[in-house]
Amino acid sequence: MAYTNKLHVIYGDGTLGIGGDGFHYIFSYEKGGLESLKLNGKEWLYRVPTPTFWRATTDNDRGSGFNIKSAQWLAADTFTKCLNDQTDLTVDDHHFEKLPIAPETNQFSNHETADNVKIRFTYETLTVPATKVTVTYLVSANGQIKLTAHYFGHPDLPELPVFGLRFIMPTTATSFDYEGLSGETYPDRMAGAQPGKYHVDGLPVAKYLVPQENGMHMKTKQLKITREITENNADHSTAPFSLKVGQVDKPFNFSCLPYTAEELESATHIEELPLARRTVLVIAGAVRGVGGIDSWGADVEKQYHIPADQDIEFSVMLNEK
Amino acid sequence: MEANIKWLDDPETFRVNQLPAHSDHHFYRDYAEWQKHKSSFEQSLDGQWQFKFASTPQERIKDFYQVDFDASGFDQIEVPSEIELSDYAQNNYINTLIPWEGKIYRRPAYALSQDDPEEGSFSEGEDNTVGLYLKHFDLNDELRGKQIRVRFEGVERAMYLWLNGHFIGYAEDSFTPSEFDLTPYIQDEDNVIAVEVFKHSTASWIEDQDMFRFSGIFRSVELLAQPVTHLEDFTLKPRVADNYRDGELSMDLNLVGEHAGNVHVLVKNHAGSTLLDETKPIDSNVTIAPHEFKDVHLWDNHDPYLYQLLIEIHDEDGNLIELVPYQFGFRRIEISKDHVVLLNGKRLIINGVNRHEWDDHRGRSVTMPDMLSDIHTFKENNINAVRTCHYPDQIPWYYLCDQNGIYMMAENNLESHATWQKMGAIEPSDNVPGSVPQWKEVVVDRARSNYEFFKNHTAILFWSLGNESFAGDNLVAMQQFYKEHDDSRLVHYEGVCHTHDYSDQIPSMDPDNYLPKGGTKDYRDQISDVESWMYLPPKQVEEYLKNNPDKPFMECEYMHDMGNSAGGMGSYIKLLDKYPQYFGGFIWDFIDQAIQVKDPISGQMVMRYGGDFDDRHSDYEFSGDGLMFADRTPKPAMQEVRYYYGLHK
Repeated sequence: MAYTNKLHVIYGDGTLGIGGDGFHYIFSYEKGGLESLKLNGKEWLYRVPTPTFWRATTDNDRGSGFNIKSAQWLAADTFTKCLNDQTDLTVDDHHFEKLPIAPETNQFSNHETADNVKIRFTYETLTVPATKVTVTYLVSANGQIKLTAHYFGHPDLPELPVFGLRFIMPTTATSFDYEGLSGETYPDRMAGAQPGKYHVDGLPVAKYLVPQENGMHMKTKQLKITREITENNADHSTAPFSLKVGQVDKPFNFSCLPYTAEELESATHIEELPLARRTVLVIAGAVRGVGGIDSWGADVEKQYHIPADQDIEFSVMLNEK
Repeated sequence: MEANIKWLDDPETFRVNQLPAHSDHHFYRDYAEWQKHKSSFEQSLDGQWQFKFASTPQERIKDFYQVDFDASGFDQIEVPSEIELSDYAQNNYINTLIPWEGKIYRRPAYALSQDDPEEGSFSEGEDNTVGLYLKHFDLNDELRGKQIRVRFEGVERAMYLWLNGHFIGYAEDSFTPSEFDLTPYIQDEDNVIAVEVFKHSTASWIEDQDMFRFSGIFRSVELLAQPVTHLEDFTLKPRVADNYRDGELSMDLNLVGEHAGNVHVLVKNHAGSTLLDETKPIDSNVTIAPHEFKDVHLWDNHDPYLYQLLIEIHDEDGNLIELVPYQFGFRRIEISKDHVVLLNGKRLIINGVNRHEWDDHRGRSVTMPDMLSDIHTFKENNINAVRTCHYPDQIPWYYLCDQNGIYMMAENNLESHATWQKMGAIEPSDNVPGSVPQWKEVVVDRARSNYEFFKNHTAILFWSLGNESFAGDNLVAMQQFYKEHDDSRLVHYEGVCHTHDYSDQIPSMDPDNYLPKGGTKDYRDQISDVESWMYLPPKQVEEYLKNNPDKPFMECEYMHDMGNSAGGMGSYIKLLDKYPQYFGGFIWDFIDQAIQVKDPISGQMVMRYGGDFDDRHSDYEFSGDGLMFADRTPKPAMQEVRYYYGLHK
């Protein structure tokens, strides 16, 4: 049975499956997000994507005490609390008042279709006080996913190190290609970058003496990540395969590394980092500057901070066609 | 004279029997030798030396310099190299505090009281490691029968020297060449030279630079023979006329040896035309009167045009006996009446870096490939200036800067950070050199050595008195030395800013943050031709520039490039467009100080920084503030520097 023009919607009892030509997605109600993003039979997700708030402390952050002032964002980054009862599903024009789980799902068949599916997950930050983040996936019939993350500002929270979404992929990328700015860039350090199309082999980590935030790419229009192996024991192919991420309204920022912020944070030397085995993609809606006046107290210039009291929203297109 | 270990404790004894500092020129037998860059008057003593390490002065072998000493128990060490990097002594990185912090209580001699000589402070120091070096050598044929001196280009931190059992001399000032006359005791064959190197002496108080603390003979050693008549020293005075088009060259030559024959002085341009050709009879002092150069080709960063000077010494029969080639340029640096720094009549903008000498395998014992690589990196990234932080560099670096148009701030070997700043606060109660009389000559000597060795280098636009040493009468004496000897360069010193109240010039800064409690004498009018700060934020830089900037302003250190940094550089650079009195700055700094070692766990070659050698107290990763990683690959921020430094080339 082919669903070339329509999404095949599978109403599971813990998940929502969405299939189409060359793609299959599974949203987990329990795990609170997109559990599987399969393109042409290749899995792209190791765990559900989560909001990310922490960047591995830079030397300047340490010197200015920023890591201490904003420490609670580390907890919010490390542990994710999804408010599962607020997960919100709309299939075409039908908005589900509550998530369809048996017995409600008993009415469905294996031939349910739709033109688009929108599912929104709501997260509560592990900060005091807490605030909320929503992540909305809008799946179109051609398999493109428009992803929108929204941070709700709160005046009583410390400034954010970063706000974005973190995708962990099962195996390391062999390369990535992007259209954006040359080299590693930050809001206060991108004047010297050249716009263009760039190819990066492997997942290089900038070899700062103490591992720290690195590898950010500002103002990106498109990103293509390429891998060659999967963790599927029945997959014997080593042919390269790719995932594309594109801008929606405006360019996005990303880093593509083999480590999470927490892994980088735990190491005092490069060689203490674990063996590279995953791809950690951070799509960042707001990036804090790195600063440079000094490394013992000077703050990043004000315009490059991420104030916590204002809402932040950004979108990207996953599996861009 | 016999060696006395008490010299280690005495700030007034810092050179014994050292030859006076002089121009750093090479000298050759003839033109063929010059073409091959190999002087038969020179014999290198680099290579393997016999070596014995002692943990303390008391444990050292005291008679090792005797000719009949049995050195069969000695090891081998490479010269030049750092003792610590051969794993005899512990590597230690420490920034502002003194290396014996928390281990030994010391105060600088005479700092607290004129009755306090601090006897035994270093000669009995339990942390004062000792390296004993021996080298057996025969003189090359060409050196035999001539006056022979030995030159140690760099030894940290205090050295005693013997030849064939005879005491020769003593030197401090780790980063300046030390020369001694060996003639009275030299033999054609079977010489043994003995060097005793102490890690600490009173010099340690004024060599408290932010760096790994090493010791040893870390720069080259060579023997130099002099022909019967020898150009010992010369001072070139190239001047650019007020029309910035014509030039004038005069020079003073100082000759030693026999007064017979002639000295022939030639200056040629790139086309090979001879522009000056004078012959004078040999005398102790020979002066070449001002000679006009019409439409001179000026030297600068974009066009580092150098003229070729050739000084030939001929004997009575007209035979060439010594050839001294030297390259120099015409350039003029001055401060306009509007307090703008001008080079050749045009506004000067420093797109600079601070450069420690560093090699991730060799420490500060850097190599020619390191230097060539650094120059290449400068050119590639629009870096037009270097501050030799915080000591004179190896001699070839100055020639490379002349040839490549790199503006130099030539800094003295001076930093006494621990004696005036404690946990960030300005607290100079035990400051040296300050105004302590016993510490005056030692620092003036450092100014003199820096001047005398490097005075003929066109690239040097600024003399820098030193780094982070507070201020006092002794810094004034250093400034005066330069002013008395050199009117062709500016003098720079940053630390004087801690003696002046800037409430009117930089109103948003709290004077408690930069002045000592209880106040201090204001030296601003006596020290430094330029207003220099470090890490002053853009907002305060602008305040200074708006409020009657009566000295041109620069940052001798800014954009602290530790880890992932160098953000916000544009805020500094845009001030250049608004304020002509701002003439740029030197990024801190060029290259990470980290040591490459094999990790026993992973088996990989990895970088180690402060504290990684169980060294405590340490300032840990603060050793890595470079635009370059320690392996000389650029950090990602380099493209930003290349861009901003390209805006005011």
